Amino acid sequence: MATNEMQAQALNETGGGKTSFAISMLFPLFRATLWGLTGYFAAAWITAALLGSVIVNPLPATVGYIVGLVGWLMGSGLWEGWIRRAFGGAEAPAYTGVERYFRFGPDSKSTAVRYVVFNVVAFFFAGLAAMAIRVELLTPDSTGWWMSTIHYNMTFGIHGLMMLLAVAASVIVGGVGYYLVPLMLGVRNVVFPKLLGLSWWLLPPAAFAVFMSPTIGGFQTGWWGYPPLAQNSGSGIVFYVLGAATLLTASVLGAINIAGTMVYMRAKGMSLGRVPIFVWGLFAASTILIVEAPATFTGALMDLSDMILGSHFYTGPTGHPLAYMDQFWFLFHPEVYVFALPAFAIWLEILPAAAKRPLFARNWAIAGLVGVSMLGAMLGVHHYFTAVSPARMPIFMTFTETVSIPTGFIYLSAIGTLWGGRLKINAAVLLVLMAMMNFLVGGLTGIFNADVPADLQLHNTYWVVAHFHYTILGAVIFTWIAALYWWFPKVTGRKINEFWGKFHAWWFFVFFNCTFFPMFIAGIEGMNRRIAIYLPYLHGINLFISISAFLLGAGFLIPLANLVYSWRRGEKAEPNPWGSKGLEWQIKSPTPYIPFPEGTEPEVVGPNDNYAAGSKEPFVWVSTPSK
Amino acid sequence: MNAAKENLWKAFRGLVLVWIVGMAIGETLIAWGINNWPLVGSVQARITADATTYLMWQAVAIYVLVGGAIVYSAMRFRASSASDAVIPENQKRTWAPFVVTWLVLAIGINLANTIYPGMVGLEQLWAIQMDTKSPLVVDVTAQQWKWTFSYPKQGVTDVSQLVVPEGRTIDFVLRTKDVMHDFWVPAWGEKKDVIPNEVRHLFITPTALGSTATNPMLRVQCAMICGNGHPLMRAPVKVVTAAKFKTWVSNNSF
Repeated sequence: MATNEMQAQALNETGGGKTSFAISMLFPLFRATLWGLTGYFAAAWITAALLGSVIVNPLPATVGYIVGLVGWLMGSGLWEGWIRRAFGGAEAPAYTGVERYFRFGPDSKSTAVRYVVFNVVAFFFAGLAAMAIRVELLTPDSTGWWMSTIHYNMTFGIHGLMMLLAVAASVIVGGVGYYLVPLMLGVRNVVFPKLLGLSWWLLPPAAFAVFMSPTIGGFQTGWWGYPPLAQNSGSGIVFYVLGAATLLTASVLGAINIAGTMVYMRAKGMSLGRVPIFVWGLFAASTILIVEAPATFTGALMDLSDMILGSHFYTGPTGHPLAYMDQFWFLFHPEVYVFALPAFAIWLEILPAAAKRPLFARNWAIAGLVGVSMLGAMLGVHHYFTAVSPARMPIFMTFTETVSIPTGFIYLSAIGTLWGGRLKINAAVLLVLMAMMNFLVGGLTGIFNADVPADLQLHNTYWVVAHFHYTILGAVIFTWIAALYWWFPKVTGRKINEFWGKFHAWWFFVFFNCTFFPMFIAGIEGMNRRIAIYLPYLHGINLFISISAFLLGAGFLIPLANLVYSWRRGEKAEPNPWGSKGLEWQIKSPTPYIPFPEGTEPEVVGPNDNYAAGSKEPFVWVSTPSK
Repeated sequence: MNAAKENLWKAFRGLVLVWIVGMAIGETLIAWGINNWPLVGSVQARITADATTYLMWQAVAIYVLVGGAIVYSAMRFRASSASDAVIPENQKRTWAPFVVTWLVLAIGINLANTIYPGMVGLEQLWAIQMDTKSPLVVDVTAQQWKWTFSYPKQGVTDVSQLVVPEGRTIDFVLRTKDVMHDFWVPAWGEKKDVIPNEVRHLFITPTALGSTATNPMLRVQCAMICGNGHPLMRAPVKVVTAAKFKTWVSNNSF
């Protein structure tokens, strides 16, 4: 069967159940919420009663969280879908219709769609927190009618943790990656489908707990959770620690799947050299999570243990807070590469198809992705040059600066791809180009923080705030929206509205830069991070930043409306709207429940980025040899 | 489908023009910005500010080279319309001169940056510390949410204002009573975390006279989140002449 015939073939037998949505399908969600909340309150109250304490104290909150999490997971369908069989019961049937979107299950595509929904919701609320922060900073004084300094500290802590672990960590890896990895590798599902299903269901209770942390006293530490402040500034840190650990678990479950699927399940003929660049990016990010997450997990739980079990790892007269910083940044520096590497890989996945050129210097790009992930383990110390002994400064300065070399390969590859091509600039490509420009600023300003002499002044100022927003918001979130637009026809069979896509791309680009570029200046002028009250000489610049931030924030409603409207009413897309040679576009859109029927499988016969006139198709469909 | 021929060398000439214009505009703006630099009030601040400004010249140059290439090639090599089906003739997968130039520059700039301003700056900062024979010792105690200063050799204890003489290297001995803090005077160009159960030193040689009232960059500011009083964990600073410092000490010691 030649390529693209698959598009035309009737795949009704693979399309899954034809049920339409019914309100009763929400039952698992309802049951999960009920069991989760009941579990939380029952366990917290019983613990509090046994200890003669109250439920907002750290220990009852911890026990409540764990029981509530288990209750939520069981209610979501984990019980009959996975656990019941271990107790001798029957396993639930595989849900193939619309109901699979609302319950635990092994289908990677519905999991990925749920990821997008979760990320959008988390982004919305964490974005509101950002708006609240900017309202507070409209005036230099404490703005008492709006929020106290205590609430301000809680707000930026929640904003930071949610944006990092509930948004940036899973926007591209989760929503885009889990959908595309099987399709790009030419397989029907990921290697551990139930683990992937489980990973999504860990997210909502974790994010909910972090947002609810002010109800048990909040936390004042920002998203770092540094001891000993963590232990003496509110019980909310319990939800911070457990929420962060749960979100990290979800990330690791996904990472195992990506790495395992790429290593063990590639289609026939897909050598490592022919693995799509986006999967390489996800693979590089996954290795970071698998290798580095345990150290940071342990640190977070030891931080919690100091609070609820009376240990003294980091606190008390014998505690060593620097050890926490070492453990914390061992993952959380490379965590930014978990956000960024898949974004880089998306640029390199989209640009060849848009410019009708092969990916330039592909092997260097792969070396760049893998190189960044390997160097990432060796440079977390640059987040606390102001705390370490001089002996560690030159070592980690050198390693940190070195990481710009493999990062540069991505730009080498992207520019080489654009050069001499014929670039069709749709909204997705425009956002990719803007993300590249923003990351360039973010990356170059990172050199200042890697350079110890400059960092000793710039550390913990607004310079740093500007720097990481350029990389995470300016590059990762821009690329996320680009990816949603680019692969929207794959998921829904429809196209987004190009005019509004391009309009908000420019809106973002202008107000993003108006918001965050002045923060570099504020940092140089001596404005430090995490302050609700600043000196009057910084008023003008903060007023400008706040107003730009409101316009930027409001702009995010445009892509939201665009996606929702296009999902229902958008123009019908042709099977391969961008003329891409990627394997994912050879499959019917929207992707059927089983992407290609039994007895048929793709075989890779050439590079997937050969756009030369008259070049042969990179894939053929062959029949699976019977066993 | 017919292939579109492009003269890529001719296109490159346009990019060189973009680079020249971009470089002129970018570096002019940076020159203006550096000209308006906030107060550099110590020998150490001179070193760290020099590192920062050097990296700025360089960052703008790289931004123009790389960013200019992205914008220029996206515009120069764009398709004529959304339905343009022309396949570009250039289907090269790699081109050694570009890759090699990129590699050499990337590695070269990195090595250069590690040496200057990185190691050179550190060396200079450490040299001041090593060469100081008799620094003025100031004990700094951080706690939620205030700073207290003591001058053990001068017999001044527990003052809430930091008064220091100009031109003499000071050894700030940093301790905290509770959580982590960070001792930072923005005008002095360096900060140091204050960590529980540890003693840290920060060496500063003030060069600019003044006080918090005349320039807010001269203030002690906690730069590490330390709880709800964090933003107001400041202390006034006064840099005076050696003679005035002597008078201040005799008025405040016992």
